[in-house]
Amino acid sequence: MKDAILDVQKAIIDLNIDDIRQLVQTCLDEGIEPLAIFEDGISKGLEMVGEQFEDGTYFLADLVMAGEVVKEAMPLLMEKLDRESSAKKGKVILATVNGDIHEIGKNIVGMLLSVNGYEVIDLGVDVPPEKILEEVKRSGSRLVGLSVLLSTMVGSIKEVVDTLTEAGLKDKVKIAIGGACTSEKLKKEMGADAYGETAIQAVKIFDELQASL
Amino acid sequence: MHPQERIRRTLEGKPVDRVPTFCAMMEDRTFNEILGKPLIPQQLVFQNPITRSVMNKWGPQITQPIFQPVLNAALEKRIKGAAKLGFDSTWAIYEESFILKDSNTMLRVTGSVFDILEDGYGNMTYMYRKPGITSREDFEAWPHWPDADDVAHRTYKFFKKMVKKYGNDMCLIGQGSAYGIHESLLWTVGFERMSIWLMREKDLVQRFIEITEELCLKTMMAAMDAGVDMIIQTDDFAYKSGPMINPKLIDRVFGPSYKRLIKAVHDRSGKFILHSCGDNTLLMDTFIEWGVDGLHAYENTSNVDIYKEKDIHGDQVTIVGGVGVDYLLTDRSKDEEIVEEVKKLIHALGPGGRFIIGPVHSLSSIPAHKMKIMLDAVETYGRYPIGNS
Repeated sequence: MKDAILDVQKAIIDLNIDDIRQLVQTCLDEGIEPLAIFEDGISKGLEMVGEQFEDGTYFLADLVMAGEVVKEAMPLLMEKLDRESSAKKGKVILATVNGDIHEIGKNIVGMLLSVNGYEVIDLGVDVPPEKILEEVKRSGSRLVGLSVLLSTMVGSIKEVVDTLTEAGLKDKVKIAIGGACTSEKLKKEMGADAYGETAIQAVKIFDELQASL
Repeated sequence: MHPQERIRRTLEGKPVDRVPTFCAMMEDRTFNEILGKPLIPQQLVFQNPITRSVMNKWGPQITQPIFQPVLNAALEKRIKGAAKLGFDSTWAIYEESFILKDSNTMLRVTGSVFDILEDGYGNMTYMYRKPGITSREDFEAWPHWPDADDVAHRTYKFFKKMVKKYGNDMCLIGQGSAYGIHESLLWTVGFERMSIWLMREKDLVQRFIEITEELCLKTMMAAMDAGVDMIIQTDDFAYKSGPMINPKLIDRVFGPSYKRLIKAVHDRSGKFILHSCGDNTLLMDTFIEWGVDGLHAYENTSNVDIYKEKDIHGDQVTIVGGVGVDYLLTDRSKDEEIVEEVKKLIHALGPGGRFIIGPVHSLSSIPAHKMKIMLDAVETYGRYPIGNS
């Protein structure tokens, strides 16, 4: 692999927001394809950041900074990338459930999904189940991610499941849950399809859910 | 043994007669069940058209003369409720960090925005909505930075009254009108922005730390001058699976302030408890190095292993908390489940001392009678030597 791409990868891993644009430009100047820069440089770098998060070297704040470094680099690539050829993996609707207003984890998941090829539709916080149903119908998304921190609001997950069931859509839509008070047990109790303990697991979880559709 | 002595000796690692108890604040629903509901529900007071109109039009102007006394009365009831139920100690907070913006909104003086809500039981409460400062320009233009001396004066008056009224019955563990330095920054600018500002706007972060440290220090000292010997400071450094920020960065950025605060408390012969939600396993050594005497909460919904922590740090810091509020201290649990869990916690964490049992947090969903079951179980099973009860 060309050194220039490895430099981009390293800048992502090192959270080097100051030099990333120049490094991406260097890749472009050397004639490297934008898609290769994204996949081998940025995406690979993010994957390694994720590994460092999993092994406890990096923390949530570092994930946010990694997202910022990527955001700094992407405009240069987006100009060059052929939008047709970079087909989105799928659409994911994200929401913090009805009655809850916490969103840090959801936002990090959204960032990770977005840079890994998903179109993210973020409905925000305190989202009623009807709004999620409306968006499922409007966007055609078959993937929903629900975030909940407050243990008193876990019932809102069931409300979403029930709303989709009543609309005849539950077997067509996959729901993943995450947040401080969620667990594998809660997933089963609420009728969701997947549970993620950390934001980093989100990409793999939605890749698997997408494949199961 | 007087509760004050029981708490102090436990924080010092000295023998006591029984595992002490701690009330992690008490929400309105809970203290209304103990003290009796107000004649007019708060919801009616705050959500009728006339009050809303007044708050919308004159919110900031009525904060001190009208809103603050109402809040002070509720803050006292939290203490009174805990005393009446029989807790050895309670988190006694004096909260003067809000400005009423309108009938739906409060601003924290350190730069965050809160919703005014109904708690599901007819009482008013508040919940964080969003950052109030999102840029350097916002920071420079923020008009509500606190006058720490002014707030400290009123903190003193509040605690002087509370110590006089409740100091004979229980140990007040006081928090001045300042929230944690790190969590204040997080709320003020938002987590994503804080992560970036820690790297790229270091001067603003430092200025913010200085403002909040001054407020913390002066209000802590005011509480101690008023007769409160035990201090608690809330600062949520972690979430379910660990610290939000690299522990080394936490220590570098926030450590110096906390070391100064804790030293000031210790210099006056006080004790310092730090509250931090989430899994703080990777931060325990840091907190101990800062000088904390006790740590609260050891949330059961996080990944922290309270039993392992007893083994590792049990002789260096006092564990405060342990009883879950997600299920155990709610209407959903069976009474015998509370007794069993209290027994389990006491038998595992009580030997050797340095354990104060209590809820891991406060929630409106906690019924008073569940708290009473917890306290009765401690009385039955918590006498030293553990195992002889």
